[in-house]
Amino acid sequence: MKIIATYNIKGGVGKTSTAVNLAYIAAENGYKTLVWDLDPQGASSYYFRVKPKIKGGSKKLIAGDRGLDGLIKATDFENLDLLPADFSFRNLDLVLDARKKPTQRLKKLLAPLAKEYDFIFLDCPPNISLLSESVFEASDILLSPIIPTTLSLRTLEQLKKYIKDSKLKHIQLIPFFSMADKRKKMHREIIESLAESHPDILETVIPYASDIERMGWERMPLGGYIKRGRSHDAYQALWQEIIRRTL
Amino acid sequence: MTAIPLHFELPENLTATKFLKKLAKKIEVEITSQQYTIKSFYDSFDWRLYGADIVCEFNHSRITSQLNLINRKTGELIAQEKMQDIPAFSKDFPKGRLKTLLEQKLEMRALLPICQLPYEAYCINILNKDRKIVLRLQIDEHEFLTNTINLLPLKGYEKATKSISYLMKNIFCLKPIDSTVINSALKQQKRKAKDYSSKLTIKLKPEMPADEASIVIYRHLLQAMKVNEAGTIADTDSEFLHDFRVAVRRTRSGFSQIKNTLPAEVISQHADFFAWLGQITGLTRDMDVYLLSYKNYQQALPLSLREDIAPLQAFLKQKQQAAQKELAKKLKSPEYIKQLMAWEHYLNQPLPKKSKESNAKMSIKALADQRIWKVYIRLLKEANAISESTPAEALHDLRKTCKKLRYLMEFFQNLYPADEIKSLLKALKGFQTVLGDFQDYEVQELKIKQFSEEMMDNKTPSNTLLAMGVLVQYLDSMRCAARKDFAKQFALFKQAENKAVFKKLFAHKA
Repeated sequence: MKIIATYNIKGGVGKTSTAVNLAYIAAENGYKTLVWDLDPQGASSYYFRVKPKIKGGSKKLIAGDRGLDGLIKATDFENLDLLPADFSFRNLDLVLDARKKPTQRLKKLLAPLAKEYDFIFLDCPPNISLLSESVFEASDILLSPIIPTTLSLRTLEQLKKYIKDSKLKHIQLIPFFSMADKRKKMHREIIESLAESHPDILETVIPYASDIERMGWERMPLGGYIKRGRSHDAYQALWQEIIRRTL
Repeated sequence: MTAIPLHFELPENLTATKFLKKLAKKIEVEITSQQYTIKSFYDSFDWRLYGADIVCEFNHSRITSQLNLINRKTGELIAQEKMQDIPAFSKDFPKGRLKTLLEQKLEMRALLPICQLPYEAYCINILNKDRKIVLRLQIDEHEFLTNTINLLPLKGYEKATKSISYLMKNIFCLKPIDSTVINSALKQQKRKAKDYSSKLTIKLKPEMPADEASIVIYRHLLQAMKVNEAGTIADTDSEFLHDFRVAVRRTRSGFSQIKNTLPAEVISQHADFFAWLGQITGLTRDMDVYLLSYKNYQQALPLSLREDIAPLQAFLKQKQQAAQKELAKKLKSPEYIKQLMAWEHYLNQPLPKKSKESNAKMSIKALADQRIWKVYIRLLKEANAISESTPAEALHDLRKTCKKLRYLMEFFQNLYPADEIKSLLKALKGFQTVLGDFQDYEVQELKIKQFSEEMMDNKTPSNTLLAMGVLVQYLDSMRCAARKDFAKQFALFKQAENKAVFKKLFAHKA
């Protein structure tokens, strides 16, 4: 089982669409896949038409008495399940803080799911918090979408420094460009200049596209309503590149 | 808690369309597809998937083709993948859950089509207020079997499953049925699941005369040879030849171990044929073993050399194919067919009431006791004589004695309490493993050296030869480890507990 967190300190960079679309592709390729919507806004739950509600809220969830398995919902797509968000997740930091070894909690909760799933995607809220520290401990891969702007790059550097300082040696940070608008000169220049100086950034670029935005209207992953096109191909290529780099 | 029924039978006069009209009056249904589908069941020749409670079905229609692995007991979908063709071997499946599961269960065995069932499939979704699917239904309209309706539950939506199941059972009064139609499909083709197993299950009666029992055993072994013959000739997978050879070896072991039951002249007349079969199948089996071990060979090498060994695989494949071709030719030859038919003819002849063979009319139980006890004592004597300085030949001879004992115990196992003989067989198998390893590593070490010499003449890259050198070193270290392990494994086998059971089962009448 590989745990992939889609994460960035910044919000609105395409974390949820990355988690949802890559999970869809993994499932389509025959891998049993789970998306855990950790964001109290519940955007991935919305995309899968699942109510953002879990029995007992974050307290019972983090206590781990009942295990995660009973909270999981099948999506409308084969091999793809969802652990929905809950509005109480806005207090996850506080709930975690009240536990012993809070940063180990998520890892412990996810361990029993190893037999059932090949990939688990953690759709994380932004910010560096106790929750994100717990996510870092649990994850094998930190997939970080970055908009090609100077500010986004600054947050990537912050994240790299944080991982280094925290000695999180087990985690593989994989950044890639997201919401890239080729009409914008700055986007083009940043992508070009960084390709050479940052070989760790994936080659695949996810474009800023209206068909990705349509996910909210269709309430399903991109692959559920279009079978070809620039955005569709970009996510397919992104998945292949991640597989090549990590497996 | 009783399980919720998920599979129901539709009454004969109720078509899928009529039923769907009725259903739509009760709940909101979305028919997603209706298509003519052919369901093909797949398994290995020895039913490894069915044995593990897995049904492998390939549903092929004009629009889509999908391979499903289903839990035979619960009907739960374990893995699925869209694919157009089914590869013969699990290693050739696309990477994913399905491949992992198949690799675990099938190992080297080919996935073969078992039987087919054509039907009209109606796929239906049950939706909630958010138009989220909460349950899937499938109605299968068969031509020759009764129509079925199957509930395909979705995780986290158990309430919906429960209420629709209640609707089917109590409102529509449908009869719950088994989760899979594989057994009905097999029945149509006059077949039964698990109709082949490489394990011996010979039913003998203790009081049966030994000559009669010998015939039963030999007929069983001949049948094993015959059912594996076509797969051996076609090289469907390496286990056909393996099982064919085991049946030949068991027959030969029977000739030497269940002596003086059938006329000596008959045995000597056929013994040469079976010796010849052992000899002509040897080379192909050896090559199969090397090819099956190839992955382990690769793993034994340092990372930097793993790619370099690839020419060895190509070399082995070439040799295997040449040997296989020769073997297939011999198994199709008139000489082979004539001799096999002669043996079959003899086994189908009625036995004379009187026989000059000393053991012919002895009860098989008494003979089995005597033979097993004698070979067991010989085994202990041979093994006890082995010290650290004993030459390898003594271990090889001991391995042969172990095989003789094993075959005898397997021939006669139904004459003894199942749990006791099984525990002894398990202990013996454990002991055989160390002896087998010791000899196999030695033979492989010599063979890889010999192959490297042959390959040297074929302009093989120097790194390949280097990797083969490292492999020889590895095989040698494994051989030494097996040799060291011998004393420990023998101590386990000869422990008082096992000895007492051997004595209890076989010694009292010997």
